[in-house]
Amino acid sequence: MATGKALKRRTLLHSTLLGAGASVMLARHGRAQAEKPQYGGKLRVAYNLAPGALDPVVGRSGGDAYYWRQFVDQLVDADPSLNPRASTSLAQSWDVSDPKKVVLNLRRGVKFHDGTDFNAEAVKFNIERLLDPATKATPRSAFTPVDTVDVVDEHIVRFNLKRPWGSVLSTLADRGGAMNSPTAVKKLGQDYLFKPVSTGPFKVAEFVSGSHVRFVRNENYWGRDEAGNPLPYLDEIVMNTVPDPTVQVSALKAGEMDLIYLPYREVGNFETNPAYTVRKYEGGGIAFLLSFNVAKPPMDNVNLRQAIAHAINPDVINRAVYFGRAIPAKSGMWPPGAWAHDPTVPRPSYSVAKAKEFLAKGGRPNGFEMEAVIWPSDLNTPTAEIVRAQLGAIGIKLTYKVYETTVATEKFYYGSDAPMFLTSWSRYPEPEWVASLIYRSDGYYNAGKVKDDRLDALVDSGVAVADIPARRAIYRKVDEIVLGEAIMVPMLYGVTYAAAHKAVQGVDDVFGWDAKMYLHRMWLKKA
Amino acid sequence: MQRYILRRLAQLIPSLLLITFLVFALMHAIPGDPARMMLGAGEQLDAKQLEIVRREYNLDRPLPVQYVLWLAKAASGDLGRSTTSQRRVGAEVAMRAGITFQLGLFAWLIGICIAIPAGIVSAVHRGRWPDMLATMGAVGAVALPGFWLGIMMILLFGVTLGWLPTRGYVPLAVDPLESLRHMLLPAIALGITSSALVTRQMRSALLEVLAQDYIRTARAKGLARWAIVIGHALRNAMLPVITVMGLEIGRIFAGSVVIETLFGIPGMGRLMVQAVFTRDFPVVQGCVLVMATAVLVINFATDILYAVLDPRIRYDK
Repeated sequence: MATGKALKRRTLLHSTLLGAGASVMLARHGRAQAEKPQYGGKLRVAYNLAPGALDPVVGRSGGDAYYWRQFVDQLVDADPSLNPRASTSLAQSWDVSDPKKVVLNLRRGVKFHDGTDFNAEAVKFNIERLLDPATKATPRSAFTPVDTVDVVDEHIVRFNLKRPWGSVLSTLADRGGAMNSPTAVKKLGQDYLFKPVSTGPFKVAEFVSGSHVRFVRNENYWGRDEAGNPLPYLDEIVMNTVPDPTVQVSALKAGEMDLIYLPYREVGNFETNPAYTVRKYEGGGIAFLLSFNVAKPPMDNVNLRQAIAHAINPDVINRAVYFGRAIPAKSGMWPPGAWAHDPTVPRPSYSVAKAKEFLAKGGRPNGFEMEAVIWPSDLNTPTAEIVRAQLGAIGIKLTYKVYETTVATEKFYYGSDAPMFLTSWSRYPEPEWVASLIYRSDGYYNAGKVKDDRLDALVDSGVAVADIPARRAIYRKVDEIVLGEAIMVPMLYGVTYAAAHKAVQGVDDVFGWDAKMYLHRMWLKKA
Repeated sequence: MQRYILRRLAQLIPSLLLITFLVFALMHAIPGDPARMMLGAGEQLDAKQLEIVRREYNLDRPLPVQYVLWLAKAASGDLGRSTTSQRRVGAEVAMRAGITFQLGLFAWLIGICIAIPAGIVSAVHRGRWPDMLATMGAVGAVALPGFWLGIMMILLFGVTLGWLPTRGYVPLAVDPLESLRHMLLPAIALGITSSALVTRQMRSALLEVLAQDYIRTARAKGLARWAIVIGHALRNAMLPVITVMGLEIGRIFAGSVVIETLFGIPGMGRLMVQAVFTRDFPVVQGCVLVMATAVLVINFATDILYAVLDPRIRYDK
């Protein structure tokens, strides 16, 4: 949860054996490149969060992934729509047809940056490492279906499962599926967190805490582009931590940066400037949503929740706060692009009349007083003011408490501090990640820890199968319950923007399925 | 004098203990389970992992015990590991503190180079236009927030004129000239705000001294005005100014928090703010320890400087 970011387009999980098909490769890089990429050069990128540790498995800071995406390969990679993509994965094919096991057929001849062979033993080491509670791995709970890992032969590895794992391929595309060199992990101990070794297109050359991470080209990278040229093209990437977005913009204009994540307010200025390329990624999480503690009065009353949902006009918020650059939500918690997204399940629409009707139905025709929690940002704070005004129009007097992000999250979801939370959602398109966290009775984001047998059963059945149409039908039912009873109400879907100097090439393909920049295929056009 | 110095040094220790204990207590007064915060609030956390973290950071012990355990380790030089970045706090804080000290010293010098001449001119030309100008400058410097000044300078010198880099930090050892170029804008932004108070203090102290009898005597015997101001008045007027200059160092530390964030300088101020937000207790404690020590030592040095400047002041009879 928190600082919104992350999402995709159409996601058809290939649930059965998938060969190293070139058709999949084209999913992300389908646009014909007009020019032949040029090799060499240094790309300077700015991002506002500093990485904590660069080990994808153990790192805990929200900004980590923006950095480690550049030097790791995933066991199963995914295209921007979260379709598994064998051509860029360390597994060249897989078999998930048996609910009791997952079999991965690994790519041959791949080496870690330190020369260690990538093979079934290495995969076993990585998975067992993250399952060991002493590792304190961040993605450990996502891997609870795994019982044991077997090395079938040098290049075939098998996960034996405790229960069906319908979301396995998406999970392997996230941090738990990033591969670390067993040799380096064993040799460096705690230092490994800052000197990570993977198999990816770049290697970590320098990591200065709070300042920057410098990556250099992995000369022995196994990846090739569509024309068969070795990847990557760049010699070097410097990812700078620039906490203030205004300064990022200044640095881009001053020529000190080549590529930045663009704040909403600047998009218009840069789109009209011919010196820059601006690209966007739609479906980058949920930019603004209402989350209710359905066990805490007055939000234990379904009619009053509906009243609030109908009283808020996301279009106004989008225009006033997001410069019209986000997408007003018309549907549920699965944002556009995710295969689970179903626009036929409507979100409560803006209507003062309906809101008043629900107030009356809920037994509070003249409104009521209520407290909410927010965390401060240049988007959240003004949004909260508009929400207060819009709720005021139907007689609800809103006050809100402001806490820092993590504290607000803990206080609302764990401490039952208030009946409503105005926040954003950065969970990924895989619906299981959202469903098990919010809707299951033991889910962290189930603020009231309310047990709902219907939802528990649906969430469990959602991962019991790997078949997409079957799963889609299940998550549609989840959405119907959640929106029908206003348990969570998305208001705006996020959009992520990037701006680059014209010389920077490959910006069309820069965003991955998690709305983070993947710099693997960027190149610089020499003047 | 020696006994005085030793006694003052010994007094630093209880102050440091008190400060670290207060910070410790405050950090633990923030709501939420610290172990959950460490592993990442908002994750489906694993009970086994939480238990390991609680044991590792002694979170399962009573608060006073936790403090004593931290203190015992700190006394042996081990400040633990950051709960977010998982780096060693000692090494991390030392690196960041070096950067902040460089920035702070630079800003402080800039502040003094502006404030002392401005204060003198202001006092000597009391009530005339140089005084008005200096006063307006000082009032403006107090009123302008450092971050606004910083943004305006970035736009002017970085983006429009392109003379100076807009952000970042280059270590002094790597490239001294580039290091100074990178530090110039943030140091000015920080130094200008801190110069205001010193200017005003310099002005009023000098005015007071200039009204005294011995100055009239000096003038009567025909000394040049500047010789009187520099040679006779300034030294006596410096006492209160030095106090303020010492205090400004604390202000510069406080201001560096914002300026470092703005200019992307990986200093201690930024480290501490991030640590507070993420409840990274070992890092907060480490930063506080260093900052508190620095401020206490500077106050101490200010006191000693008193005695040096004014031989009449003797502390140990």
